[in-house]
Amino acid sequence: MTQKYEALLLTIPEITGDEAKDLEMQLDKVVRGAKGATVSFERWGKYKLAYDVKKNEYGVYYLMRFDVDKGTNLINDLKTYINVKLSTIVMRDMISVLDPKAPSTYQRPRSLEEAPTREEGFQRESRGSDFFLSADNGNDSDED
Amino acid sequence: MTKKIKLKISARLVKKRTRRAGGNRPKSCRFCVDKAQVYTVDYKNSTFLKSFLTERGKILPSRISGACARHQRCISQEIRKSRVMALLPYSGPSF
Repeated sequence: MTQKYEALLLTIPEITGDEAKDLEMQLDKVVRGAKGATVSFERWGKYKLAYDVKKNEYGVYYLMRFDVDKGTNLINDLKTYINVKLSTIVMRDMISVLDPKAPSTYQRPRSLEEAPTREEGFQRESRGSDFFLSADNGNDSDED
Repeated sequence: MTKKIKLKISARLVKKRTRRAGGNRPKSCRFCVDKAQVYTVDYKNSTFLKSFLTERGKILPSRISGACARHQRCISQEIRKSRVMALLPYSGPSF
């Protein structure tokens, strides 16, 4: 009976491409050691964290999905591996069981790297400028 | 025959009762109505879960969010997981 799992990892913002590849390979090795298979390893991107984690305001998220048979001790092994061997890179991890009936697509917040819709956001942010514009239009200037 | 003494209820108690009575409209849980929405309740989906938090980051009670007990537990659990992963704050002035 294969069970689907996913692991969300929060890494330091200074992680390089090579370090990320190493991370993927090391975790894949652990999973294959328990006769499992990695389904996906996605990089979400750089995010501003809701609070500082290990004195970092930003972090990079990685989502790894893998299948493994029930009854193996993989989850505990993976947790100890991440906390001991990868503690310098990975700040937080969350390993959870996936519901087999749940769809494989998921929604996630937008990262800093993804282009925001500037037109809409811009208008809402600059409320102050609207105020000053209306004052100018009403010809209420105190200029001499 | 003894006269029935009608006790005057204080204004404070009247206010408390009307506040507790609230609206009698039967609010249905949006997740019980539409089963597919349950899959959007996910710790990764912090933009959706944000709507169940107050301005200061506290989890909204079910009498305000409208969720039934079962789904309120799901929502709370996912919010707490999200907080651990720094996708949602534990508390804050406003976010």
